[in-house]
Amino acid sequence: MDLQAFKQRILPVQGRLFRLAQLFLRNREEAEDALQDVLLRLWTNRQQLDTYHSVEALAVQMTKNLCLDRLKSPAHQKMANDAGLKEFEAEGVSPYRQVELADSAGLIRRLVEDLPTQQKLILHLRDVEEYSFEEIEQVTGLSINNIRVILSRARLRLRESYVKANNYEAGH
Amino acid sequence: MKPDIEKLLEKYYEGETTLDEEKELRQFFQQETIPAHLLEHAAPFRYFAEARTQHPSATFNNRLVDKLTAPEPRPIRSLTTWFMRLAASLALLIVGFSGGRFYDQWRSDQQRTQQTVSSGDAMPTLEMKKVLAFEQHPKTSASERIQAVNQSYELSQADRDITQLLINTLNFDANVNVRLAACQALTRFENEPGVREALIQSLTIQTDANVQLTLIDALVAIKEKRAVNEIQRLAQNQEVLDVVRQKAQEGLNNLVQGGKSPS
Repeated sequence: MDLQAFKQRILPVQGRLFRLAQLFLRNREEAEDALQDVLLRLWTNRQQLDTYHSVEALAVQMTKNLCLDRLKSPAHQKMANDAGLKEFEAEGVSPYRQVELADSAGLIRRLVEDLPTQQKLILHLRDVEEYSFEEIEQVTGLSINNIRVILSRARLRLRESYVKANNYEAGH
Repeated sequence: MKPDIEKLLEKYYEGETTLDEEKELRQFFQQETIPAHLLEHAAPFRYFAEARTQHPSATFNNRLVDKLTAPEPRPIRSLTTWFMRLAASLALLIVGFSGGRFYDQWRSDQQRTQQTVSSGDAMPTLEMKKVLAFEQHPKTSASERIQAVNQSYELSQADRDITQLLINTLNFDANVNVRLAACQALTRFENEPGVREALIQSLTIQTDANVQLTLIDALVAIKEKRAVNEIQRLAQNQEVLDVVRQKAQEGLNNLVQGGKSPS
């Protein structure tokens, strides 16, 4: 597989992988970094790619694992702590918070990001990337019923927290 | 439309909607005007639609291509180092072998040129010179020297060195047989300068009857008139054997008659 063929195969998936990475890492630069890592790994293993049933499912899985690994890594935890501090400060009614609340898309993103990992992943794959249940099954290895349940919970929880945040905002 | 959307929303939150139905929902919430009671559901769908448009930055792809093309030599290099090692060892072997071969060839070439420099038939000459060299006499046996002398028969032409060598052998070799052989060898080179004179001179030196006889024969055979005086002296010398005197007389007659008859 040469570079051209590789790009043709991976480029359509690239956006998805990037969004997934961004969902986990909550940071554009880090997401690009992770995406690059994933693509490099795919490139070095390009000879074996044909043996996989779905390169996309593989790539999504790799991205997810890589992102979770990075979140666990000490370097990232230090960064998250710094970020957490900022968030914690923002917990109060600050102008910053208010501006962000006004931007409902930004709020939703934050709320999605705050979901538990599995809910977040499945909600993202389904509602953003429009994966079928079968495709999600390939990536996560969960049964379709399980996926439905998790998806339902994620959606409900997202609405709940959104309504809560909105009421909170309205209260002020 | 509205109840439809409400029903769909219900299904949506239960996780039962199909992809098409979800698309419908997203499209519905993209509208400018959304009924107030549905407004609280709008945000997630708007977010989903917006999130889909997120892409890595433009420079990302350039950086990626750089990375993809740059590390490409890495696996190849690891292959080449392995390959290089093999190639290097092979090259060393080849260099060693060919070096040895060339050296061998060069040496044999040099030997050959050394031989060809002197003359076409240098081989016997060289050996001859080696064996007959005066200082070698104590070390070589008589048969070896005879063999060396006989090697002169292989020469088509003799130079001064060879004839001088043979003359020396004829005059000074300790062994009679060697001297005889040298004498016979010299008669082949009768036309070489100095050979005839040497033969005549040798007649005065030689004391052995056999050699004297052979010399007389040789001189008569080559019809050397200048030898007449020497042979006459030999014929009148009382110290030499009778056979030699008779032979000398005979040779004298032959020479004198041979000189007369053709003229």
